[in-house]
Amino acid sequence: MLTHPSEGTAPSRSADGTWHLSFTLNGERVETEVPPTTTLLDVLRLHLGRTGSKGACLEGECGSCTVLVNGVPQNSCLILAPQAEGTDITSVEGLATGDTLDSVQQAFLDCGAVQCGYCTPGLLIAARAFIDSCDHVPSVDEVRRGMEGNICRCTGYMKVIDAVITAALVDQQEGR
Amino acid sequence: MTAGAVGRSVRRNDARGKVTGETRYGGDLAGVDCLHAKVLRSAHPHAEILGIDTTGARALPGVVAVYTHRDVPGTNKHGLIRRDQEVLATRFVRYTGDAVALVVAESQAIAEHASKLIKVDYRPLPGVFSIDEALAPGAPRIHPEGNVLGKKPILKGDPDRAMAEAEVVVETTVMTQTVDHAFLDVEAGMAEMDGDTVVIHASGQWVHEERRLVALALGLPTERVRIIQPATGGAFGGREDIGIQIYMGMAALLLNRRVRLDYDRAESMIARHKRHPIQIQYQLGAQKDGTLVAAQIRVLADEGAYASTGIAVLRKAASHATGPYRVPNIWVDVTGVFTNHNPTGAMRGFGACQMAIAYEGALDALADKLGMDRVELRRKNLLQAGDGLTTGQVLNVASALECLEAAQDTIGWSGRDYASPKPHLKRGYGVSVICFGLGYGDGFPDTSRARVRFAEDDVLELYTGAVEVGQGLTTAMAQVAAHDLGVDPETVRVISADTHRTPEAGSSSATRQTFFTGSAVKLAAFELRHQLMDIAATLLPIHPDELRFVDGFIVHADDPATRISLQEVLTEGRKRGFSLEGHGLFQPPTVEGDPNGLSPRAFITYLFGAHAAEVLVDVETGEVHVQQIVAVHDVGKAINPQLVTGQIEGGVVQGLGMALMEEVVRREGKILNPNFTDYILPTMVDVPPIHAVILEHHDPGGPYGAHGVGEPPLIGTPPAILSAIADAVGCRPSELPATPERVWRAIQEAKAKHGAGAVGEAAGVS
Repeated sequence: MLTHPSEGTAPSRSADGTWHLSFTLNGERVETEVPPTTTLLDVLRLHLGRTGSKGACLEGECGSCTVLVNGVPQNSCLILAPQAEGTDITSVEGLATGDTLDSVQQAFLDCGAVQCGYCTPGLLIAARAFIDSCDHVPSVDEVRRGMEGNICRCTGYMKVIDAVITAALVDQQEGR
Repeated sequence: MTAGAVGRSVRRNDARGKVTGETRYGGDLAGVDCLHAKVLRSAHPHAEILGIDTTGARALPGVVAVYTHRDVPGTNKHGLIRRDQEVLATRFVRYTGDAVALVVAESQAIAEHASKLIKVDYRPLPGVFSIDEALAPGAPRIHPEGNVLGKKPILKGDPDRAMAEAEVVVETTVMTQTVDHAFLDVEAGMAEMDGDTVVIHASGQWVHEERRLVALALGLPTERVRIIQPATGGAFGGREDIGIQIYMGMAALLLNRRVRLDYDRAESMIARHKRHPIQIQYQLGAQKDGTLVAAQIRVLADEGAYASTGIAVLRKAASHATGPYRVPNIWVDVTGVFTNHNPTGAMRGFGACQMAIAYEGALDALADKLGMDRVELRRKNLLQAGDGLTTGQVLNVASALECLEAAQDTIGWSGRDYASPKPHLKRGYGVSVICFGLGYGDGFPDTSRARVRFAEDDVLELYTGAVEVGQGLTTAMAQVAAHDLGVDPETVRVISADTHRTPEAGSSSATRQTFFTGSAVKLAAFELRHQLMDIAATLLPIHPDELRFVDGFIVHADDPATRISLQEVLTEGRKRGFSLEGHGLFQPPTVEGDPNGLSPRAFITYLFGAHAAEVLVDVETGEVHVQQIVAVHDVGKAINPQLVTGQIEGGVVQGLGMALMEEVVRREGKILNPNFTDYILPTMVDVPPIHAVILEHHDPGGPYGAHGVGEPPLIGTPPAILSAIADAVGCRPSELPATPERVWRAIQEAKAKHGAGAVGEAAGVS
């Protein structure tokens, strides 16, 4: 979970007011200098050039910007840079291993759960976290309740729900 | 033949990049040495501009330029049908999204700060915030010519007399709401100079028309404007009116620099056009046996401040006023009026969806009055082959009844169960049947061109100006290109939506691209196929008529062992100087309505669909819980069934949002909910199981019999849900969306009128 900056590893403040920020992104140590009011979403997109995470509402309603912060899905548009200090972040770019897609990515392809694709990165991260939080293959209703924080305007959600359950089944078969 | 590229759920050719995060949308385009633009928008819904002082903004360090109307290099106008909207306001602002000035700065933050330092001296003018206010005597004039955008009447038969002679007459009134497209990918992009050409990377729905509009505003020949569409996160009609393209292009041209422009959600909702709120008075006359004899329909639409595509929306509303029903005598009066609201224009459904709510509601009211089953009434009056639509256009094929029957079968209509889990929850079922004319129609030029070729690496390339906005167009078109050439559709390289590289395909709107660009691609592939056959025939040698294209080979139809690989044919073709490319042009004409609005060919073809909905209504809170929706659509031929069901499911959920929750709320012209906290969109918990059913009645005009699917799944949903609400509680709100408050109030009014026992009694009647 997130901690107040004073409770975690303290980020250091530069003389010009920017913060020297370091955290782990998709298994890799990253460092950058940002104004402390920068959101984690902007750190990822503008400062680190990782544009996979999307901004759509910028107020925590749509989930397009969802990333894992220490394994917990969070809206990166609502997290300020200093809060990310020392955390372990996973964004959509970190799901695949080389050319091998994660089971949720593969299931989204197979089930036709991608249309315009703008909500997809956030949905994939939320799905990964949701499946990992389940000790069984979730039912349709469990997926609906577990993923309601992500808005999709194109698909009508049916194929997304299919994909989440399909990925959970694949994970179970592979003993993940 | 091969297994066939058409008719299979081939995987989307753009999906992998979308799941890995590699796909670049407008907001993702990296801008090295990039300036940032910011549009200053009107502080008032209606005002005269007495002066603009940009001194303070210009003085801010980091500001590169501040532009007003005087700086627009070309014609300071844009608009898809009428050029009535100014790039930057000269003297009047007519809604709170009107653009007044443009700031360009070294950073987004500086640009935003500077925009607040611009001093605009406004003289506020009285505003017009409803249809009634716009039409009131002495109303403030929003445009010099008055507050009426236009009328689209239809007169068929003798409706006055037929209505007077009708044995039963019902009249209903419905008011639909302002809806936002709410695509997730807000307007964002980048423009830069390439020599003397302005290159604009931004998402629209018709790159070639955007090029014409940008060229007009910038005073450039069209050749000096290039529009390239990045990946696009939804459109739904919301990208038809031009937005950021002109502003970015202007700044890039005047400064010879790379310029970004990024709206946030609030600016996106405040600046952009909306779906028309429409008030519909619907009078329907019938014989006692339920046979419809007359419809008299008065339609008033809030057009907002500018024309946008409003007149076309009004025409579509008029021509779909009686939907898929046989009505011999019709009078439709559609009037669009200007207000100081956002312009209203294209959104999925385009006038036809508001009319479906009205005609299906009127039919339910008629069934109640006749004491007749709702479905029986519909069955009796549904169009059959040989019947005329609202416009008098006669159809050779009409699958409306078959759609309705499939919807009933799928939901189990005859055995529907009204059992309720709790006393305060009332269960209800509804149906709707709709039709939709695809393409621009009404005599408007409607054309698509396509080019296919084998590239030097033997990969089949498809060039189309059509834009992919999420619907799967580039995948479906690759399938069409590949089918007759025996090529694996997943290997086709699609080059789309770049005005300098791709032929014009018209807009991705009006449910038209499968039909129009699909046909153009098929024609182009056909031309290319003939070249290959000529080459192969000399190599094998076999008469061209006996050749088939199968899995990368050209084979003898009767003797598959006699074959030659496509590669060999291509190599030989290059040696002999063949172009190895084909071009397709598709431009079927429609006919503009006569003075009575009648036309033998108002639209090139019509789609039919039927929906069924089951709801539980909480009579204590007015909440509506949709339990399931069935959506049956005759798509002609599903080129890619998975894409088609994706369109159906997505359209249903947008329809559910329109029926129950989505509404742009305004006070004195100011939008109070320009954000996703207060503009409520359906989430996964709001969405019930959706049963998408595809029917395929071969359409002889479309590619492989296909016509399209984009808009109808939205159109059929609100009337089915509203019908189900009425079935559950015996009443329905006359204003949309059917929020808990509106449903609760409707229930209280019904109780007051008919006594407390009335609510819920209707359940099971029909």
